[in-house]
Amino acid sequence: MKSQNLVLKIFLGLYLAIFFSYLLGPLIIMGVTAFNSPGFPRAAPWECLTFEWFEVLSNDKRIMTGLKNSLIVGSGTVILSVVLGLAGALMLTQIYPKLRATFYTIVIAPILIPGVVLGISTLVFWDRLNIMLGLSGDSFLHNGIFLTILGQSTFIASYCMLVFLARLQRFDMGLTEAALDLGATNVQAFRKVLVPFLMPAIASAAVLAFLASFENYNTTTFTFGKYPTLTIELAQKVRYGINPSISALAFTIVVLTIFAAVTHEVTQRRKQLALASGATVSAIRGDGFLLPGFLRSNPAAIVLLVLSVGAVATVGFASTYSPDSCKVVVREQKRALQQKQIEKIKQQRLQQQRDKATKGPDIFGADKSKVAPQSGFATKSPGVGAFGNVFAPTNLDKTQPKPESKTESPGKGAFGNVFAPTNLNETGPKKP
Amino acid sequence: MNISAAFKRFFNRNGLGLGSFLLIAVGFWLIVLIILPQLSMLDFSFRHHLPPPEMGGPKDTYTLEHYKYLALGAQGADQSYNVVDLGVFVRTLVAAFFVTIFDLLLCYPLAYYLGQASGSGYTRILVLFLIIPYWVNEILRAFAFRIIFGDSGVINELLLAMGLVDNPVDFIRDNVALYSGLGYAYILLMIFPMYNVIESLDRNQIEAARDMGAPWWRIHWRIVIPYAKPGISSGCTMVFMLSAGALAAPQILGGPSSLWFTQIIYQWFNQGGNWPRGAAYAIVLLSVCILIVLSAMRLFKVRMGDIGK
Repeated sequence: MKSQNLVLKIFLGLYLAIFFSYLLGPLIIMGVTAFNSPGFPRAAPWECLTFEWFEVLSNDKRIMTGLKNSLIVGSGTVILSVVLGLAGALMLTQIYPKLRATFYTIVIAPILIPGVVLGISTLVFWDRLNIMLGLSGDSFLHNGIFLTILGQSTFIASYCMLVFLARLQRFDMGLTEAALDLGATNVQAFRKVLVPFLMPAIASAAVLAFLASFENYNTTTFTFGKYPTLTIELAQKVRYGINPSISALAFTIVVLTIFAAVTHEVTQRRKQLALASGATVSAIRGDGFLLPGFLRSNPAAIVLLVLSVGAVATVGFASTYSPDSCKVVVREQKRALQQKQIEKIKQQRLQQQRDKATKGPDIFGADKSKVAPQSGFATKSPGVGAFGNVFAPTNLDKTQPKPESKTESPGKGAFGNVFAPTNLNETGPKKP
Repeated sequence: MNISAAFKRFFNRNGLGLGSFLLIAVGFWLIVLIILPQLSMLDFSFRHHLPPPEMGGPKDTYTLEHYKYLALGAQGADQSYNVVDLGVFVRTLVAAFFVTIFDLLLCYPLAYYLGQASGSGYTRILVLFLIIPYWVNEILRAFAFRIIFGDSGVINELLLAMGLVDNPVDFIRDNVALYSGLGYAYILLMIFPMYNVIESLDRNQIEAARDMGAPWWRIHWRIVIPYAKPGISSGCTMVFMLSAGALAAPQILGGPSSLWFTQIIYQWFNQGGNWPRGAAYAIVLLSVCILIVLSAMRLFKVRMGDIGK
């Protein structure tokens, strides 16, 4: 029995390890690439510690405009969906029971409808309304921000409604009735009894709505018009050539997220402790960082402390550190490596030249067979070729040897082509 | 009880101001945001593709041409069916199905573990770890997978360094990156419905079964899974619908030779400029997905009201 338990524990540990490395590994690797110097985000051959990608990021105008648009859309969506979600939840508690299932199905449906469909339907509906009303193409019905807020609110309001419903289940309707009996008007009862009770739900619904709006892509991609949000800009960047400044952005978001989540966890924990010991929240807070005992009982607080110290240290380090010397070293190493490769190719070429000179007529046959796959590759994936060039981290360095070989090759043009396929193989790792 | 009496009672209960606010807000949401756009899209999908000035003109009649195009392909094409688009459609659904199964298998043990473990600090940290990736942008998550599975990505560098392969494996072309990215994207939506249900399962039931000598797999098969069925179906429904309707991950992680059905819709809208055809494709996607989900729910005897709990 005991050994069985041990086996079970090992399995559980293994499973948890696999699960969480699947969950967190990608984020960690992406975070690491933000600090590596190659132009293509990669973690594996570590070159130089650098902070330049953060600078590139903060100088990127499109990202910053996208961020601004995202904030505008986000706040609009939060207001609209919290209001709609609240109204929907209140309605659901009062609606004629036979209608309740139908109503619930309709308001829950936007969560299940693919975001693409929501985006299209919003776009089509308002576009046709616009035509019907005879407005011009620039009217507010065509405004990207307006459409995006409406499209996103359609389903985000459903999320909010679920949050409100969960909270409303614990609401004692007798409280409102008591207020009404005591002479409060309906609005007063709503404002002074129900809304304060729902406040935590309103807060979490607002946070949820903002996050959902901020990261929405499927719906927004059809409705954004002239106002691309941050997510749209990111998607375009990722699709048409990537550099580590995106990793830098992701890293920033992840750190902010962890910070917010851990802070939330710490305050929750504090409240629990306060409840358990009967003390006020402020009393516990006063002891927070003084008592190691509190830290020991609260792993989240330790994480928070470590994180803050780490952040301060990193910023301090970044302002003094310069990766230039390291970069020079790496570039030299690469150049040396490339020189070697060029030498190797040259020797191969000479060797083959000699071989072929002896064989003679075979030259053209060999040429054709070797050139063909190359052209086939080019026609198959024009997009990939474009990507490949952009991604190639050593692009800049590679351009140096290329002219060299070109200047050499005109005399033996046919042979220059022979080597093209092998060249491709060598740069192969860099294409996506 | 007739309608006017119901309204009177509603206004009596909420007051005129609040009552009309509720009615207006819910009406706006239901009719203007949900129902009318869907109907408008349905209507639009039966129209000819016309330049804006001709809309509403004599040529603006109803037609089935876009649905025909999806089924039969362009007129005068070699094949009698639209093999490309239908193939993509079927592949999308099949892939979404397998992503759902993969997520279910991956998440069930953890949901069970979290649901049955007492809410200690340790499990709270685990839940925190679960949530963090979902605060990160969808695009960035896909981007992370691209870094990992790219030709010079971590996995390829590792394989090359270990000497297991000579040339980098093209994970993107093989769609490995796409499937793992999609599976990754919806883990949380699978885990939380299951976790919520399993958490409320009385532990005594499991102990009783164990005392009576049931092996662990029978405990799961006869007690935990039947009890967690609403959570499982809710999670599966969401993962299936969302991965079939995903756009970002296929755009970023999809191989150059394989498309996702949503990408075709996107192309009709943004590159093809043929909105009615895009709308028709979207309608097909929506209705087939709903049909699949409804029949799965009928099969497993789960009600709509269980979704979203």
